[in-house]
Amino acid sequence: MRYHVFALMMIFLLPTVATAGYKEEFEKEFLTKTWAGQQIEENLCISCHSSDTMKPEFRVITDAWQSSWHAQNNISCEHCHGGDPKDASLSMSPHRGFVGSPQPKEVPEFCGKCHIGILSHFMESGHGKALAASQKAPNCVTCHGAHNIQKATIDIINEQLCTKCHAYERAKVMKQALFLTEKKFAELDKRLQELKREGIYSDEEEKGLFNIQAEFRTLFHTVDVNLVKERTDGVTAKLDKLDADIKAMFRELNFRKNFSAFLMLVFSGMGIIILVLCCFHED
Amino acid sequence: MKRRRFLKIILTFLGSLTFFSFAYSLVKFLTSLPTARAGNKKLVISKTDIPSGSARNIIYGNVPVVVINRPERGFIAFSRVCTHLGCLVDYNERKQLFLCPCHAGIYDIEGNVVSGPPPKALNIIPIRIEGGNIVLG
Amino acid sequence: MWVKIKNWLDIRIGSDSLVQTKVIEYRIPKNINIFYTLGFIAVIAYVIEAVTGILLLVYYIPHPDHAFRSVQEIMTRVPYGWLFREMHAVGSNLMITVILLHMIVVFLMGNYKQPRELTWLGGGLLLLFVIIFGLSGYLLPWTQLSYWSTTVVTSMPTAFPLIGEPIARILRGGDHVTATTLSRFFALHVAILPPIFLTLIGIHLFLINRTGISATPFGKADEEKRPMTEYKRKTHPDGNPYYPYFFRKQMLMMMAYFAVMFFFISFLPSLIFPEEANMPADPFKTPPEIRPAWYLLAPYQVLKLIPNKFFGITLQAVLIIVFLIWPFLDTYKEKNIMKRPVLRGLFLILLTLWLIFLFWGRTS
Repeated sequence: MRYHVFALMMIFLLPTVATAGYKEEFEKEFLTKTWAGQQIEENLCISCHSSDTMKPEFRVITDAWQSSWHAQNNISCEHCHGGDPKDASLSMSPHRGFVGSPQPKEVPEFCGKCHIGILSHFMESGHGKALAASQKAPNCVTCHGAHNIQKATIDIINEQLCTKCHAYERAKVMKQALFLTEKKFAELDKRLQELKREGIYSDEEEKGLFNIQAEFRTLFHTVDVNLVKERTDGVTAKLDKLDADIKAMFRELNFRKNFSAFLMLVFSGMGIIILVLCCFHED
Repeated sequence: MKRRRFLKIILTFLGSLTFFSFAYSLVKFLTSLPTARAGNKKLVISKTDIPSGSARNIIYGNVPVVVINRPERGFIAFSRVCTHLGCLVDYNERKQLFLCPCHAGIYDIEGNVVSGPPPKALNIIPIRIEGGNIVLG
Repeated sequence: MWVKIKNWLDIRIGSDSLVQTKVIEYRIPKNINIFYTLGFIAVIAYVIEAVTGILLLVYYIPHPDHAFRSVQEIMTRVPYGWLFREMHAVGSNLMITVILLHMIVVFLMGNYKQPRELTWLGGGLLLLFVIIFGLSGYLLPWTQLSYWSTTVVTSMPTAFPLIGEPIARILRGGDHVTATTLSRFFALHVAILPPIFLTLIGIHLFLINRTGISATPFGKADEEKRPMTEYKRKTHPDGNPYYPYFFRKQMLMMMAYFAVMFFFISFLPSLIFPEEANMPADPFKTPPEIRPAWYLLAPYQVLKLIPNKFFGITLQAVLIIVFLIWPFLDTYKEKNIMKRPVLRGLFLILLTLWLIFLFWGRTS
């Protein structure tokens, strides 16, 4: 009986070895093949602009974009510049909405295609009015960069940047007005990430935080310190409510840990008693 | 023998403790029903407050809501929370669209996504029409 | 009061004599050790999985649009939902560990030999079914981890030429992991596997009872004489009654099992839930490190190492078949593994290799 089995195995193994080579030739390693499901979309903008035949100053653009917050959220070239990322002949065609790079005065409207709320506040602000009147004024790119755009933080307001046009004093006042609120945002975000790691899903709270933060930052673009100070209380109140919710979640986490630790101890206790009862009274 | 009896009593006690902990959790698990989040408060708006084609923003149970008078189609209420990242949408009467100021998410008058990043339509808040009034809750 | 109830029952079904013959007079060898309780613990582990699974079924929604959110609801909004979900997740890993330990003990004791070959075969099939349970259950929460490790594992059969692709397509219900995959994995996990599994357990337990508990190899030599020529149930007339002697050993192990489960739930929940387990599935973004669950890591690593995919998977298929029919291949009379250095060495080498591949698979 045993020999039959061994014989069968041999017969099975031989074609294995024989077809070994065939397999490799006609099929890519399944490990290097794109996983079923992951769709890697070809973006022609990036393919051309990162190739060796491209001017170096254009080549750095794709790298800069790659490490940006836009890239992480799947916003690529065509979303801002238009054009067709899949068709080479139409990739820079006005028929596909290609607008090229904007002039400094056109930058706010360029970014404002998506960031609508910020655009309207910016145009009303001192900065926006100065830009409309002359060329010597900041636009979005001045503070945020063009392609390597990161998540906004309060440190975008700094001495180097703001003193290009005027004294740092007024920027400092604004930064101070924002400081505490921004700190609170950062803290709440950190705590939400902590909760997520522990398995408590806090989608609603995350969205709530984003909402409050977006509102606050949109407001900042008016560069009106008084307005910001006026609204800060309202924002802080909302943040405090969110904070209370988050604290409640941490308390819930604590309760869970205690409850399961309690169960663990009870079971261990029962185990020990059974052990004593059964094994230390052997007659 | 006294020791054995004592141990057996403790064992029974611990056993019932475990049993009741699980029984309690089980009962709560199976009998909890989602509490009406907005409470049982009612909110009444008069129909005449919202002319055809326009909308009104209200707060209902902690949720910012927009009640809109669709031309020819009657009243409907949506949560103003954008389904993308949580900003509040505004109704643009001229274009008869909802617009999100954060990343240009656009919804039509039925709350469906027209363009932009939102993944799904606006949440519909159920309303009743009673006589000349719109009632929520 | 209890006496009255007992009498009432006894008149109707003869419970007294039933208890007497099946429980009290059921004799267990005197020197049986604690490891013989592992089979019972495996059954308890399965019962825990079934009960917590049914509870989760009350709130879970098996559709990609709702699966992740429904699990979120269970974890955050349903009272004690977290308790049952974590028991189910931690329990599934513990159950597979207990089954593997049970298998190792049976192997080392040589308890697969005649007349217990069918018991071993049933047990081997149970192990394979448990792994399919784990595989199908892993996808259900529809997280990044679920989606992508299922993609990896369902691609493994493609290493077979000709039949590999159709097998993978049938498993997935298509070319990618989609809602179809979720539906069929759900059906498998909840409706198809449980009856098959329970039937196998039933057969396994019947066989154990019918052939009788084997003599422990490290005790008195009251070994069955092999080869056997007629049926004879193995009894232990001078052994201890099952109740209370073996029963309390089983209870002790059961308490230990629960204590270990709650230890993991209280202090090491992140072991079962790495970061990717808390993110909803995104078919367009593969997280940086995707691996199958730990019990499939060793085969996965072997497949990665052997340059020829077909050879890799065939080798594993052959090993699995050898594992299942081992009692038919090893008919050597000696049961005591301490007297069989070659088998001992072979076993140790294979076990060490399995562990090495497992840890290798984790770190690569």
